[in-house]
Amino acid sequence: MASRKKLTRFEKARVIGARALQLSMGAKPQVEASASSDAIDIAILELKENKLPLDVNRIKK
Amino acid sequence: MYLVSKIEDTVRIPPDRFEEPLEEVTIELLNDSYVGAIDKKLGLMVTVKEIEDIGIGKVIMGDGAAYHDVTFTALSFKPELHEIVEGEVIEITEFGAFIRIGPMDGLVHVSQVTDDYINYDGKRGALLGKESKKTLEEGDKVRARVVALSLKGKSSKETKIGLTMRQPGLGRFEWIEEEKNKKAKKKTTKEGKK
Repeated sequence: MASRKKLTRFEKARVIGARALQLSMGAKPQVEASASSDAIDIAILELKENKLPLDVNRIKK
Repeated sequence: MYLVSKIEDTVRIPPDRFEEPLEEVTIELLNDSYVGAIDKKLGLMVTVKEIEDIGIGKVIMGDGAAYHDVTFTALSFKPELHEIVEGEVIEITEFGAFIRIGPMDGLVHVSQVTDDYINYDGKRGALLGKESKKTLEEGDKVRARVVALSLKGKSSKETKIGLTMRQPGLGRFEWIEEEKNKKAKKKTTKEGKK
Protein backbone atom coordinates (compact mmCIF):
# COMPACT_ATOMS: atom_id res chain seq x y z
CA MET A 1 0.00 0.00 0.00
CA ALA A 2 2.92 2.32 0.68
CA SER A 3 3.71 3.30 -2.89
CA ARG A 4 0.09 3.44 -3.97
CA LYS A 5 -1.70 6.30 -5.60
CA LYS A 6 -3.85 8.22 -3.19
CA LEU A 7 -7.15 6.57 -2.48
CA THR A 8 -10.31 8.30 -3.65
CA ARG A 9 -12.89 9.14 -1.00
CA PHE A 10 -15.00 6.19 -2.17
CA GLU A 11 -12.12 3.79 -1.88
CA LYS A 12 -11.30 5.20 1.55
CA ALA A 13 -14.85 4.59 2.73
CA ARG A 14 -14.88 1.05 1.35
CA VAL A 15 -11.50 0.16 2.82
CA ILE A 16 -12.25 1.60 6.24
CA GLY A 17 -15.61 -0.11 6.27
CA ALA A 18 -14.16 -3.49 5.34
CA ARG A 19 -11.31 -3.18 7.81
CA ALA A 20 -13.60 -2.05 10.64
CA LEU A 21 -15.80 -5.09 10.00
CA GLN A 22 -12.76 -7.35 10.11
CA LEU A 23 -11.63 -5.80 13.39
CA SER A 24 -15.07 -6.23 14.90
CA MET A 25 -15.00 -9.86 13.77
CA GLY A 26 -11.81 -10.52 15.65
CA ALA A 27 -8.89 -9.49 13.44
CA LYS A 28 -5.85 -8.12 15.32
CA PRO A 29 -5.26 -4.35 14.96
CA GLN A 30 -2.01 -3.39 13.20
CA VAL A 31 -1.69 -0.24 15.32
CA GLU A 32 -1.58 0.50 19.02
CA ALA A 33 -5.10 1.42 20.01
CA SER A 34 -6.61 2.35 23.33
CA ALA A 35 -9.23 0.01 24.68
CA SER A 36 -11.96 2.60 24.40
CA SER A 37 -11.70 3.27 20.66
CA ASP A 38 -14.16 1.44 18.41
CA ALA A 39 -13.48 -0.57 15.29
CA ILE A 40 -13.99 2.32 12.86
CA ASP A 41 -11.59 4.56 14.80
CA ILE A 42 -8.92 1.84 14.72
CA ALA A 43 -9.47 1.34 10.99
CA ILE A 44 -9.08 5.08 10.36
CA LEU A 45 -5.92 5.11 12.48
CA GLU A 46 -4.53 2.19 10.50
CA LEU A 47 -5.22 4.02 7.25
CA LYS A 48 -3.51 7.17 8.57
CA GLU A 49 -0.42 5.21 9.59
CA ASN A 50 -0.41 3.37 6.28
CA LYS A 51 -0.70 0.04 8.03
CA LEU A 52 -3.88 -1.26 6.45
CA PRO A 53 -3.32 -4.85 5.34
CA LEU A 54 -5.79 -4.36 2.46
CA ASP A 55 -5.18 -3.48 -1.17
CA VAL A 56 -7.50 -1.79 -3.60
CA ASN A 57 -7.91 -3.73 -6.80
CA ARG A 58 -8.82 -1.16 -9.43
CA ILE A 59 -10.53 -2.70 -12.41
CA LYS A 60 -9.38 -0.92 -15.57
CA LYS A 61 -12.01 0.10 -18.06
CA MET B 1 -11.19 -48.00 -4.70
CA TYR B 2 -9.44 -44.99 -3.28
CA LEU B 3 -9.05 -41.91 -5.42
CA VAL B 4 -6.73 -38.93 -5.16
CA SER B 5 -8.22 -36.00 -7.02
CA LYS B 6 -7.45 -32.37 -7.57
CA ILE B 7 -10.21 -29.99 -6.48
CA GLU B 8 -10.65 -26.26 -6.93
CA ASP B 9 -12.73 -24.35 -4.43
CA THR B 10 -13.02 -21.07 -2.57
CA VAL B 11 -12.32 -21.07 1.12
CA ARG B 12 -13.50 -18.41 3.56
CA ILE B 13 -10.96 -17.40 6.20
CA PRO B 14 -12.69 -15.58 9.08
CA PRO B 15 -10.90 -12.45 10.45
CA ASP B 16 -10.16 -13.96 13.85
CA ARG B 17 -7.87 -16.49 12.14
CA PHE B 18 -5.80 -14.04 10.08
CA GLU B 19 -2.88 -14.36 12.48
CA GLU B 20 -2.55 -18.14 12.06
CA PRO B 21 -0.52 -19.68 9.22
CA LEU B 22 -2.71 -19.55 6.12
CA GLU B 23 -2.02 -23.05 4.86
CA GLU B 24 -2.82 -24.73 8.18
CA VAL B 25 -6.08 -22.81 8.58
CA THR B 26 -7.03 -23.63 4.99
CA ILE B 27 -6.45 -27.36 5.48
CA GLU B 28 -8.46 -27.31 8.69
CA LEU B 29 -11.38 -25.42 7.15
CA LEU B 30 -11.40 -27.64 4.06
CA ASN B 31 -11.35 -30.77 6.20
CA ASP B 32 -14.29 -29.41 8.21
CA SER B 33 -16.38 -28.87 5.13
CA TYR B 34 -15.32 -31.88 3.04
CA VAL B 35 -14.59 -34.88 5.22
CA GLY B 36 -17.57 -37.19 5.52
CA ALA B 37 -19.37 -35.64 2.56
CA ILE B 38 -20.38 -37.83 -0.36
CA ASP B 39 -19.83 -36.73 -3.91
CA LYS B 40 -21.33 -38.52 -6.88
CA LYS B 41 -18.07 -38.70 -8.79
CA LEU B 42 -15.58 -39.01 -5.94
CA GLY B 43 -17.48 -41.02 -3.35
CA LEU B 44 -16.82 -40.47 0.35
CA MET B 45 -14.25 -37.80 1.13
CA VAL B 46 -11.65 -39.14 3.53
CA THR B 47 -9.21 -36.28 3.94
CA VAL B 48 -7.59 -33.26 2.33
CA LYS B 49 -4.10 -34.35 1.29
CA GLU B 50 -2.19 -31.34 0.16
CA ILE B 51 -2.73 -27.70 -0.76
CA GLU B 52 -1.31 -27.02 -4.20
CA ASP B 53 -2.08 -23.36 -4.61
CA ILE B 54 -3.69 -20.58 -2.58
CA GLY B 55 -4.72 -17.39 -4.38
CA ILE B 56 -4.68 -13.97 -2.72
CA GLY B 57 -7.56 -13.20 -0.41
CA LYS B 58 -10.48 -11.11 -1.56
CA VAL B 59 -12.80 -9.10 0.66
CA ILE B 60 -16.35 -9.02 -0.57
CA MET B 61 -19.22 -6.71 0.32
CA GLY B 62 -20.88 -7.28 3.64
CA ASP B 63 -18.34 -9.73 4.99
CA GLY B 64 -14.99 -9.05 6.58
CA ALA B 65 -13.61 -12.49 5.80
CA ALA B 66 -10.98 -13.21 3.17
CA TYR B 67 -11.94 -15.48 0.29
CA HIS B 68 -9.10 -17.46 -1.21
CA ASP B 69 -9.26 -19.59 -4.35
CA VAL B 70 -7.50 -22.83 -3.52
CA THR B 71 -6.40 -25.86 -5.48
CA PHE B 72 -5.86 -28.96 -3.40
CA THR B 73 -5.66 -32.73 -3.62
CA ALA B 74 -8.06 -34.87 -1.62
CA LEU B 75 -8.34 -38.55 -0.84
CA SER B 76 -11.72 -40.19 -1.33
CA PHE B 77 -13.15 -43.69 -1.26
CA LYS B 78 -15.51 -44.79 -3.99
CA PRO B 79 -16.85 -48.33 -4.02
CA GLU B 80 -17.50 -49.54 -7.54
CA LEU B 81 -19.80 -52.19 -8.90
CA HIS B 82 -18.09 -55.57 -9.34
CA GLU B 83 -15.08 -54.42 -7.37
CA ILE B 84 -13.38 -57.03 -5.17
CA VAL B 85 -12.98 -55.83 -1.60
CA GLU B 86 -11.41 -57.26 1.51
CA GLY B 87 -12.59 -56.46 4.99
CA GLU B 88 -13.43 -57.53 8.48
CA VAL B 89 -16.81 -58.76 9.74
CA ILE B 90 -17.96 -56.20 12.29
CA GLU B 91 -21.47 -57.40 13.00
CA ILE B 92 -23.59 -60.48 12.43
CA THR B 93 -27.37 -60.28 12.26
CA GLU B 94 -29.98 -62.82 11.30
CA PHE B 95 -30.23 -61.38 7.81
CA GLY B 96 -26.51 -61.18 7.08
CA ALA B 97 -23.07 -59.92 7.97
CA PHE B 98 -21.76 -56.37 7.93
CA ILE B 99 -18.27 -56.04 6.50
CA ARG B 100 -16.07 -53.02 7.10
CA ILE B 101 -14.40 -52.07 3.82
CA GLY B 102 -12.31 -49.02 4.62
CA PRO B 103 -14.42 -46.03 5.64
CA MET B 104 -17.74 -47.64 4.69
CA ASP B 105 -19.62 -50.79 5.63
CA GLY B 106 -21.13 -53.34 3.27
CA LEU B 107 -23.73 -56.03 3.85
CA VAL B 108 -23.49 -59.66 2.81
CA HIS B 109 -27.00 -61.06 2.87
CA VAL B 110 -27.37 -64.58 4.33
CA SER B 111 -28.30 -65.86 0.89
CA GLN B 112 -25.02 -64.52 -0.45
CA VAL B 113 -22.63 -65.95 2.16
CA THR B 114 -22.19 -69.50 0.80
CA ASP B 115 -23.92 -71.95 -1.56
CA ASP B 116 -24.87 -73.86 1.59
CA TYR B 117 -28.04 -73.33 3.66
CA ILE B 118 -27.22 -70.85 6.43
CA ASN B 119 -28.43 -70.87 10.02
CA TYR B 120 -28.14 -67.93 12.39
CA ASP B 121 -26.81 -68.64 15.86
CA GLY B 122 -27.99 -65.74 18.01
CA LYS B 123 -26.07 -66.83 21.11
CA ARG B 124 -22.70 -66.90 19.39
CA GLY B 125 -23.54 -64.16 16.95
CA ALA B 126 -22.44 -66.39 14.10
CA LEU B 127 -23.68 -67.73 10.78
CA LEU B 128 -23.35 -71.51 10.33
CA GLY B 129 -23.40 -73.53 7.12
CA LYS B 130 -25.72 -76.56 7.39
CA GLU B 131 -23.65 -79.11 5.47
CA SER B 132 -20.24 -77.53 4.95
CA LYS B 133 -19.86 -76.60 8.66
CA LYS B 134 -18.50 -73.24 7.59
CA THR B 135 -18.84 -70.51 10.19
CA LEU B 136 -18.75 -66.75 9.97
CA GLU B 137 -18.19 -64.69 13.10
CA GLU B 138 -17.35 -61.17 14.13
CA GLY B 139 -13.70 -60.39 13.43
CA ASP B 140 -13.30 -62.79 10.51
CA LYS B 141 -11.46 -61.46 7.48
CA VAL B 142 -13.29 -61.96 4.22
CA ARG B 143 -13.04 -61.22 0.52
CA ALA B 144 -16.21 -60.17 -1.29
CA ARG B 145 -17.52 -58.56 -4.47
CA VAL B 146 -19.66 -55.43 -4.65
CA VAL B 147 -22.96 -56.27 -6.36
CA ALA B 148 -25.24 -53.41 -5.34
CA LEU B 149 -24.56 -49.76 -4.71
CA SER B 150 -26.59 -46.86 -3.41
CA LEU B 151 -24.70 -43.64 -2.75
CA LYS B 152 -27.78 -41.46 -2.62
CA GLY B 153 -27.45 -40.21 0.94
CA LYS B 154 -25.41 -37.24 2.04
CA SER B 155 -23.55 -39.08 4.79
CA SER B 156 -21.82 -42.45 4.95
CA LYS B 157 -24.66 -43.72 7.17
CA GLU B 158 -27.20 -43.51 4.39
CA THR B 159 -25.16 -45.39 1.80
CA LYS B 160 -25.84 -49.03 1.12
CA ILE B 161 -23.31 -51.44 -0.31
CA GLY B 162 -24.44 -54.96 -1.18
CA LEU B 163 -21.77 -57.65 -1.26
CA THR B 164 -21.64 -61.29 -2.30
CA MET B 165 -19.28 -64.12 -1.36
CA ARG B 166 -20.90 -66.82 -3.54
CA GLN B 167 -18.24 -66.94 -6.19
CA PRO B 168 -14.98 -68.90 -6.52
CA GLY B 169 -12.16 -67.14 -4.70
CA LEU B 170 -14.52 -65.25 -2.40
CA GLY B 171 -15.47 -65.78 1.22
CA ARG B 172 -13.62 -66.08 4.51
CA PHE B 173 -9.85 -66.32 3.93
CA GLU B 174 -9.76 -69.78 5.55
CA TRP B 175 -12.41 -71.05 3.07
CA ILE B 176 -10.47 -69.73 0.10
CA GLU B 177 -7.33 -71.44 1.40
CA GLU B 178 -9.23 -74.75 1.80
CA GLU B 179 -10.64 -74.49 -1.70
CA LYS B 180 -7.15 -73.93 -3.08
CA ASN B 181 -5.74 -76.96 -1.24
CA LYS B 182 -8.57 -79.15 -2.52
CA LYS B 183 -7.89 -78.14 -6.08
CA ALA B 184 -4.17 -78.73 -5.69
CA LYS B 185 -4.82 -82.22 -4.32
CA LYS B 186 -7.15 -83.10 -7.17
CA LYS B 187 -4.52 -82.08 -9.65
CA THR B 188 -1.83 -84.23 -8.06
CA THR B 189 -4.06 -87.33 -7.89
CA LYS B 190 -5.04 -86.90 -11.51
CA GLU B 191 -1.46 -86.59 -12.58
CA GLY B 192 -0.61 -89.65 -10.51
CA LYS B 193 -3.12 -91.74 -12.46
CA LYS B 194 -1.54 -90.79 -15.74
